[in-house]
Amino acid sequence: MAEADKKEQTTTHKIGIYLWIWGLLFVLSFFSYMVDWYQFQGMLRWSLILIFMFLKAGLIMAFFMHLFWERYALVNVLLWPMTAIACFIFLMVAEFKYTLFTRLLYFFVGG
Amino acid sequence: MSDPKIEGYEFKPGFGGMAADTASDQTMFKGVHWGKAMMWIFLLSDTFIFSCFLISYMKGRGSTPVEWPNASEVFGLHVFGVDVPLLLIAIMTFVLITSSGTMALAVKYGYEKNRKMCGWLILATAIGGLTFVGMQAFEWSKLIHEGVRPWENPFGAAQFGSFFFMITGFHGTHVSIGVIFLFIYAYKTFAGHYDERKRGWFTSMKGDYVEIEILGLYWHFVDLVWVFIFAFFYLW
Amino acid sequence: MTEDFKDNKVIHAQSSETIPGGAGGSVPDLDYVRPAEVSDQDLYHGHSFITKWVFCQDAKVIGIQYFCLATFTGIIGLILSWLMRLQLGFPEAAGFMTAEHYYQFVTMHGMIMVVYFLTALFLGGFGNYLIPLMVGARDMVFPYLNMVSFWSFFVAVLVLLASFFVPGGPTGSGWTLYPPQAILEGTPGSGMGIILMCVSLILFVAGFTMGGLNYLITVLQARTRGMTLMRMPLTVWGIFTATVLAMLAFPALLVGSLMMMLDKLLGTSFFMPTILKAGEVLEYGGGSPILFQHLFWFFGHPEVYIVALPAFGIISDLISVHSRKNIFGYRMMVWAIVGIGALSFFVWAHHMYVSGMNPWFGFFFATTTLIIAVPTAMKVYNWILTLWRGNIRMNTVMLWCLGFIVTFVNGGITGIFLGNVSVDVPLSDTYFVIAHFHMVMGIAPLMVIMGAVYHWFPLVTGKFLSEKLGKWHFWTTFLGAYSIYFPMHYLGFIGVPRRYFEMYDSPYMTSAVGMNEFISLAAFLVGAAQFILIFNIIKSLKTGKVAGKNPWQANSLEWLTPTVPPEHGNWGDRLPVVHRWAYDYSVPGAKEDFITQTTAPSEVADTKVEKT
Repeated sequence: MAEADKKEQTTTHKIGIYLWIWGLLFVLSFFSYMVDWYQFQGMLRWSLILIFMFLKAGLIMAFFMHLFWERYALVNVLLWPMTAIACFIFLMVAEFKYTLFTRLLYFFVGG
Repeated sequence: MSDPKIEGYEFKPGFGGMAADTASDQTMFKGVHWGKAMMWIFLLSDTFIFSCFLISYMKGRGSTPVEWPNASEVFGLHVFGVDVPLLLIAIMTFVLITSSGTMALAVKYGYEKNRKMCGWLILATAIGGLTFVGMQAFEWSKLIHEGVRPWENPFGAAQFGSFFFMITGFHGTHVSIGVIFLFIYAYKTFAGHYDERKRGWFTSMKGDYVEIEILGLYWHFVDLVWVFIFAFFYLW
Repeated sequence: MTEDFKDNKVIHAQSSETIPGGAGGSVPDLDYVRPAEVSDQDLYHGHSFITKWVFCQDAKVIGIQYFCLATFTGIIGLILSWLMRLQLGFPEAAGFMTAEHYYQFVTMHGMIMVVYFLTALFLGGFGNYLIPLMVGARDMVFPYLNMVSFWSFFVAVLVLLASFFVPGGPTGSGWTLYPPQAILEGTPGSGMGIILMCVSLILFVAGFTMGGLNYLITVLQARTRGMTLMRMPLTVWGIFTATVLAMLAFPALLVGSLMMMLDKLLGTSFFMPTILKAGEVLEYGGGSPILFQHLFWFFGHPEVYIVALPAFGIISDLISVHSRKNIFGYRMMVWAIVGIGALSFFVWAHHMYVSGMNPWFGFFFATTTLIIAVPTAMKVYNWILTLWRGNIRMNTVMLWCLGFIVTFVNGGITGIFLGNVSVDVPLSDTYFVIAHFHMVMGIAPLMVIMGAVYHWFPLVTGKFLSEKLGKWHFWTTFLGAYSIYFPMHYLGFIGVPRRYFEMYDSPYMTSAVGMNEFISLAAFLVGAAQFILIFNIIKSLKTGKVAGKNPWQANSLEWLTPTVPPEHGNWGDRLPVVHRWAYDYSVPGAKEDFITQTTAPSEVADTKVEKT
């Protein structure tokens, strides 16, 4: 495509950084597997799952997808729409609790 | 990826740079290839698709009064007389991360115009993807054999099977499409299309190594989605 | 294939060129514009009829293709609305219609008008034609993908229309397609109809994604030299923001359609609760119907703004050009568009106040809904302030603009009624809602489309549309539309329910009968009046007044192409260089009452033009 000529200037990164991230991803995946292996339950399980998940996702996005090196204009365009998703998640949590509540109320308690 | 040089434009760092980039003429993402920008926006849209799937799953799972099957047991394997929870899923996760790593290296060697190395790494990525799809097929057939169907399953809430087949199926479709493209791009790399800047078959646009990065973005995204599916579907 | 590229103009990198029209030497930095960042776009030129007009990669031709196909489906939607009004106004004359037919027509009318007509027309039609021209690009950035986008839309329309001919007919579940009734026996078209509808929607979304990526990247990455985001015409801002919304909202529709298809085809129970039918329990169980409603409206509310934002943008440009004044509060307008777009993702459940969702949501969604009225009202004030003391040309385009403002205010105010939970609960499912949304997202955007057609027809064809026919068209449509929808507000207040096939004997029927007949007559008239436009287009193409270059004396780039109508590649040898925004009208001290975007500052140094 038209802009290709410019790419010549783009510097690449040392191989070490990729290998490091690769290794970290393996370690984190192993840890999240261990969460299940040791059968942690409750909030501990939840927080561990989420921490490892976000760490892995962050590493992949930041380094494998090069977002860490991209300019803020691109990074912000990509991350701000997630607030809509966050709002959707937040509201659907409230919604499923309410649905479950009405179901238990009408089916088992009997209104 | 340090900032490219643009005649007459001074790059500023951080949020000031973001404001300057946004306020400038011609491009907002300075030095970003059109195709790469397109892939990022597409992935953003695709993120919304998978988010909707996972949110639906959360809503469905949260509001069912019937007990949800224990994923740890359902997806466990019986190996050498021992029950290992989630073994297959763990291996699949490692395979996918491996392929993501080879893809990242392929992108790196692509930019270094190391044709051979780049081609082999793309091929390795494709094989990793193929392994993943194969293992997923094995997982599906195992579950179907145990009586799990989209509309019912012997372990608990019927929605378990519905969401499982739909979400992993949709993800598997993404992987499969990625594998097809990986093979095509491996061929194109080995054949030197990117060195010769040969025009594409359909789009008739000149080839360039940036295409490897674009494909890489897609492939990493597939891995990224798996991270979330692994956490929410298998570990929850 | 190589000979397909031999027509490409040899274009030199523009970085070392002197700026055309520059003052040369004496004031070198006044006209300076940064050199081009990217080399010129490599275009595929079609040679045969097929590659030039059918599988064409020129955004302008694709825009016209979108426009024609969307208009065609729109006419089908119009005919369906006639049939519905025939049944409602004169049931004895509509003996051929059963209740099933009526529901199918309601459904198809809604879906066609919202998705396949308005969305496709604004984004596919106007977006494709205007974005590259207005930002100074040679074409969309991915012409091939753009072509595939149109043909996906084509297939989507074919699948949609095919549902009229399958056993059971098209789906009759209302345009919202709510499960469980959408896929249960007893609802018309619950077999093949709903499946084809879902398939068609999925195809539409896939096609639209390809087009939308093009619009976004063209606006973000392919503007010409000097074209900053804050110099873009508001038309581009409107279409751009609407496309962003579409890219993020259509996924929810895609997911909803897919899950409903699985419910229908595989017997999953995503949306299907346990259902007793004639004393028997169906196979479904445990699903959540309200989940579909959330998914649908997570798409559905941004969809309202996908239709409205391009209309906002286009109307701003038309008003500015035809009242010879700069748009009042340009930056405010841009931020209002962006703000409305962002907020539209946080208001969806105001469509669901009576659905049985978590009752606390009413607080949240009523608040966000009323907040969104603020930027919208700002836009209305700005349009009026643009007109104020303007040198208004009372031509057809301006009439449509004025009609839009009045209609939009009307529909917007009833929207504030409905945004409040306690007002919405008694009014929802009455004709008040029908009147509200037809005013605000039916008639109002339609008026913008009409105005835009009269405005840009000279660009696309080189001929003017007939003003006389245009005025007939406007006044019948405007007065007729108000005759239809004003009485509907009243019908809603007296409690006439929507979605009813007939009203039976009920206390309020006495006053509703005459009104329904009147509304139906007006609807027939307004529908027929739209054919004036088609006649006008055909007539003007043959015998219309030749327009010449820039007939409206507008500033924006689309009027400044070397040839009219613009040819493939838009700009001939040299891309335009932009020095200002698109709204320098009636600048004190200037020779003419407009200063085009490409006019260099040194040429107008002695005028009171603002730096933009």
